[in-house]
Amino acid sequence: MTNPQIEISDIHWLMDILQNIDVGLLVLDRNYDVQLWNAFMEGHSGISPQHAKGKNLFEMFPELPETWFRQKAEPVFQLKTRTFTIWEQRPYLFRFSNSRPITGRSEFMYQNTSIIPLESVTRQADHICVIIYDVTDTAVSKSDTSKALESIEAMKSHDALTGLLSKEAWLPVLDSFIQRAGKGETNGSLLLLDMDHFRDLNGQLGHAQGDEILKRIAQGLQNLSGEQNCARLGGEIFGVLLENEDADAAVTTAERLRRSVSALGKGRANVPPISASIGVATWSKEICDAAHWLNCTDKALYHAKESGRNQTSLYQASGPAS
Amino acid sequence: MGAATAILTEDQRDCYQELTNVAMGQAADRLARLLNAYVVLPIPKVSVIENSDLNMALQGAHSDSSVSAVCQGFIGAGIAGEALLMFNDTSFASLASLMKYSGPLSQQAELELLMDTSSILIGACIHGIGEQLEIVFNQGHPVVLGQHCDMNDLLNHGNNGWNRTLAIEIHYTIEHVNIECELLLLFTEDSVKALNRKIDYLLD
Repeated sequence: MTNPQIEISDIHWLMDILQNIDVGLLVLDRNYDVQLWNAFMEGHSGISPQHAKGKNLFEMFPELPETWFRQKAEPVFQLKTRTFTIWEQRPYLFRFSNSRPITGRSEFMYQNTSIIPLESVTRQADHICVIIYDVTDTAVSKSDTSKALESIEAMKSHDALTGLLSKEAWLPVLDSFIQRAGKGETNGSLLLLDMDHFRDLNGQLGHAQGDEILKRIAQGLQNLSGEQNCARLGGEIFGVLLENEDADAAVTTAERLRRSVSALGKGRANVPPISASIGVATWSKEICDAAHWLNCTDKALYHAKESGRNQTSLYQASGPAS
Repeated sequence: MGAATAILTEDQRDCYQELTNVAMGQAADRLARLLNAYVVLPIPKVSVIENSDLNMALQGAHSDSSVSAVCQGFIGAGIAGEALLMFNDTSFASLASLMKYSGPLSQQAELELLMDTSSILIGACIHGIGEQLEIVFNQGHPVVLGQHCDMNDLLNHGNNGWNRTLAIEIHYTIEHVNIECELLLLFTEDSVKALNRKIDYLLD
């Protein structure tokens, strides 16, 4: 205390720093009355330090979640420990506008806060300091990243043309079905549909028309079995899981499908006939996993192709027969 | 293993253990006051682990099921490190009832519990160690590493700019309720030298 002059000027520039630092600072006493309110708080809230001083925080900001905030602040008073809140808990403590109102992509400012104890001479924490950090950019870019990841995930699991599940995404569906079937909870049949001479069809109709046909078939399969139970497994091969359909029922369904594929060619002039071959394999205890089941169904499909196409073939353990 | 343990002598290791004992006692006391429950104090495990073993160290803590975790950096007097707090996901129901959180236990509510507990435990532990070594640690903001995730996915994003770290593992349990959490204090390799100097000073 030999040179109070210097101390006062020190405090002066310290106060300047507190005023101008680009984080929000407020000091609260035990009753949650504001004791310090820096320029960041003034700028974003429009409330001047003179007006804020001595006012109760919760009365000044009725929308502030009082119970929640007390839960974070009380341990600071009582245990003299720091506490933190992050924007993932609540996007903000004070609803301030984005500090970049023109180019910013969020309407409001995302905030992290630290609450630190301020000890008095008696070593009691009778004040706390709340520090508000603007983390809008972090929050926005994190949400951008997770959106991007989601869309990559969707692209991986869905076929872009038809919107059906991809093979990778569908295999787990089959596997879980096989598990449930193994426990006696369900049963059903697997169906593979392959367009006949699709390359020629594409050549004559053009790819746009060819794609259109694939989309119509995909739509039909979705209506038939539901989104989760069908997939585009390759160029013009589709898979359908027919829950609760035994061999007879599945063959009937397959025939109906085959006829509606043929019907797609009706009314088109100078077009080769549109048709599909279908293989069916009904679940049995011998089926151990999705790959095995697909393999059995593929054998039936191959048989249908070999026997002249535009027909349905049913897999039998001893060998397929239509 | 020989190369890995070389940066700590037996005496130093004992000293770290003692320091941690005191600090985590303080942390446990605060947690106990917050939860109004008896916190079982374990013996902290001090070890030097290689980068590649960190996942294994974590897995030893929670071999089963999914976990939620927060981490928080701290720095002071040239000593830097990170605290990691992991909760077994089965702990949240009991934690919610102890902390008198009402309402359904959504992911959001669990995040609140995770943050509240980590503020107390990490803060007290770091502060306790700092106090004994006369270091004021500055804590960074906590970051959620993941909720309901597989242990393997937790640390996949690390920059791995380090080879070896001093790890202090503290396994907290709370009596009579199903709450288990693991607090891991990890110091960087550079910091260990500085820390050892402080410790040697205490040992002399």
